[in-house]
Amino acid sequence: MRTRAFSLGLGLAAVLAAIPLAGQQERFRKTPPAPESLQLELGLPPLSPPAVLSNGLKVSVAYREGTGFMGIELLIYAGESASPAGAPGLATFVASLLSQGTQVRSAAELEEVVESLGGTFFVNVNQDYIRVSLHVLEENLDKALDFLAQILLQPQFLDRNIADIRRMISYDLQDKEQSPEFAAKRQLYRLLLKGHPYERLAFSRDFLRPWTVREVQDFFDRFYRPNNAHLILTGNVNLSQATRKISHVLNTWAPGDIALPPIQPVRPPEKERICLVDLPQSREACYVFSGTAFPRPSTPDRAALMVLNQVLGGSLGSRLLMNLRESKEYANYAFSELEIYREGGLLFVRARVLPEKVVPALLEIQKEIRSLAGANPALAGEIEPAKTYLLGNFPIGLERFEQFTARMADIIGLGAGEELWNGYYAQVMLVDPDRVLKAAQAFLQRPFVTVIAGDRASLADRLSVLDAYDIFDAKGQFIATYAKDKKGALHEAGGMRPEFQRGPGQK
Amino acid sequence: MAGLFGPASVFAQKGGAFPLTHYRLKNGLNVVLSEDFSLPVVSVAVAYGAGSILEPQGKTGMSSMMENLMFSGSANVPPRQHFNYINRVGGTFNALVSEDRTVFYETVPSNRLSLLLWLESDRMRSLEIGAKAFEDARSALLGDLQDRRANDPYFESSRKFDELLYGDFAHSHSLLGTEADVRSLTIEDLRSFYAANYGPNNAVLCITGSFDKLRTRELVSQYFESLPRGRDPSPPAGPLALARKRVLQSFVEPAATSPAFYLGYRLVAPRSSDFYTLTILDYILFRGRSSKAARRLLNPDAKIAYRLSGGIERRRDRSVYKIFVLANNEVMIEYCQTALFSEFDRLKSSPLREDELNRYKAMFKQDYLSRLSTTVDRALYLGDYFLTLGGFQEFGLDLEKYMSVTAEDVVGIVARYLTPDNSIILDVRTK
Repeated sequence: MRTRAFSLGLGLAAVLAAIPLAGQQERFRKTPPAPESLQLELGLPPLSPPAVLSNGLKVSVAYREGTGFMGIELLIYAGESASPAGAPGLATFVASLLSQGTQVRSAAELEEVVESLGGTFFVNVNQDYIRVSLHVLEENLDKALDFLAQILLQPQFLDRNIADIRRMISYDLQDKEQSPEFAAKRQLYRLLLKGHPYERLAFSRDFLRPWTVREVQDFFDRFYRPNNAHLILTGNVNLSQATRKISHVLNTWAPGDIALPPIQPVRPPEKERICLVDLPQSREACYVFSGTAFPRPSTPDRAALMVLNQVLGGSLGSRLLMNLRESKEYANYAFSELEIYREGGLLFVRARVLPEKVVPALLEIQKEIRSLAGANPALAGEIEPAKTYLLGNFPIGLERFEQFTARMADIIGLGAGEELWNGYYAQVMLVDPDRVLKAAQAFLQRPFVTVIAGDRASLADRLSVLDAYDIFDAKGQFIATYAKDKKGALHEAGGMRPEFQRGPGQK
Repeated sequence: MAGLFGPASVFAQKGGAFPLTHYRLKNGLNVVLSEDFSLPVVSVAVAYGAGSILEPQGKTGMSSMMENLMFSGSANVPPRQHFNYINRVGGTFNALVSEDRTVFYETVPSNRLSLLLWLESDRMRSLEIGAKAFEDARSALLGDLQDRRANDPYFESSRKFDELLYGDFAHSHSLLGTEADVRSLTIEDLRSFYAANYGPNNAVLCITGSFDKLRTRELVSQYFESLPRGRDPSPPAGPLALARKRVLQSFVEPAATSPAFYLGYRLVAPRSSDFYTLTILDYILFRGRSSKAARRLLNPDAKIAYRLSGGIERRRDRSVYKIFVLANNEVMIEYCQTALFSEFDRLKSSPLREDELNRYKAMFKQDYLSRLSTTVDRALYLGDYFLTLGGFQEFGLDLEKYMSVTAEDVVGIVARYLTPDNSIILDVRTK
């Protein structure tokens, strides 16, 4: 290491620091400074139970001052799992139509209103709920609530708007389907959640029906009810102010008879499976997604899973990246992710690998997953850095107003509470090697489904070492199964294997 | 206390919604502290007044390469490990380079502030530009240039237009440099550029978030006070006078499939008195789908342009309006120009309604506050503010100045700046 001579500063530092001699540097420069003690709380008010208006609407607040903004998050418990079975997309459709006009304002006029509030308006649909978000300058909160009330109480669904939205969603999907990663993840999601209502979120263009005004209106009338919703105000406001303001504009929102069928917990896949999504345009790169599904974990299990995921592939120093990219040079990247829903969760690996290394990469991914549950469990020396990352990153991920409101919506939408808020620190701190091992044994020893997205023609020879795999097209339509015969030769084996024609747990 | 911390012009003031303390170390490093205890995080931005404006002719591309090389390791930080140190503690980091500045910025949990000061001070005092890092940075920049050429059929015309608009080499040449220059750069060129422009006296260190001010001043002193002063930065050239005669030129882009044009106007120095109205006018005319220009050119019922982009742009001491319009054919290009000029004329002859002006101002305020919403946003803002004005004398009055713009101000500004004499147009033709 090269050292250089520097003249002394005259400030306090010169007194505190070791005096550098010519050709030397101060001692404190040689190594990174030790951390000070970590603040183990957000310092934000705890989540209090929601207030409930007379029409059943739940109201919560998340206090945050100094941003200049107010956030309005309306959760409607009618995510894609509420779309009709066999006709997914309706929940997304209805949510998208909210910004297309009301009985008194056109889409362009709505857009102008949002601009005049210094705001943004968007809707987001996931498996469990629809999230209507309106962020405005704080002085415009009352006008923003009026705006929201108009959308909810005076909606207008026109054939023309439905056609526009259908076109827009279709173009959007077409665009996304160009991405091999999107195609791979969607296919993994479908296979892991096959037969479960959550599968409906993974719809493709072919499923987009020409919905009628009646169908749209029926869905809206059925689910967009105050007793099926939760409104969260974020900003410089307290619960009594929020309740009064919201009650003022939404007291005429009539409750409905919400009879949602209960959603069963997600079940793990019953067998290992490998699939190829044929993307002829993707000759240069190949994507591997490999994951498993499970019922929603308890909060302590969730914390252990988060740490486990971090060790496996959650960051730049994780095992997957170190092995597949740095050591073996099979992959450009290899990470893992954890997703938790109201009734289940997924843990999956995503990697961009060199096409010629697809099978060795796949084997290494499987080895890394399995070894955490047995041969090579996470060590304290990996777990502590993983916890350091999670604890340090948590408040950073709440800084941006949009992130803060999204986190709040997620906590409430999942039916969680303080344990994912100020209690987050304690949950992560409690994770130790024993808990991580137990989580690995409970969640990583289940069958994994693997989806490879790439050019079939380029990959066929390389995949010939596999015992069997199924081929799908970019839209997710089944094409063929390849399986080895008794002599070990790989053949197209007709239709989909019976064990994969039903979802997990289905007879 | 000032004696302990050096000869700093120490002052603190309430700046807008957040507090601010600014002082200067003996070696010329400006330090800005702004506390915010909302969340246990802290951000650091080190903004150097170094960008492509400082590159001499024949040596373009150096500032872009330097942005890369600042991660190539220093006396105590191994190459490419800067991001590992930050990632391990859950932090985030990034860097940006522009014509007039290069900024490195990070956010970490508040107990790791000293880590950031250690990292930033080490590369400020002892960056090691080795042969491999130099060649890697050169290859990366040549790759960027190649990508840009491959993906932007209007790349050459945009360079040409900048020459017309900004008037001198320093302000107008491309941040990416030219292939010929980049290929001819030597490792010594980069070492000299670093020594001249990346020292404490050409930088501002901004720290925002949850920290103890006294302790932080001690840390800043410990890590930065002994760093040697660099060469004194060159003074800005000053704003250009408005053009006196309309400039109209044409340019052939062989790879372009549609005709286009650039339209520009020379404006005043950033944050001078007219700048506030010019910024609001930018929202009225060019920002978003409901801006006057977008409604006129991109209206779905009578769409005459494919694309409209641009708005106000700053490069150190100069600001301009720079608009790019892509259309179907030459006839539409003419329509678009006529439509834009008629919008400008309309703004001169009939002032905006109050509700209309308030809508644009609300959009501006939303963007303004969004740019201050995180500790790192605020650190970037403070660095930008200081590099633009060299101080914080009027800090905190900014937003009020923008929000007090009136419809009459807009009329006056349109009449003064959006004149045919001050317009610069580059018509882009296909082969």
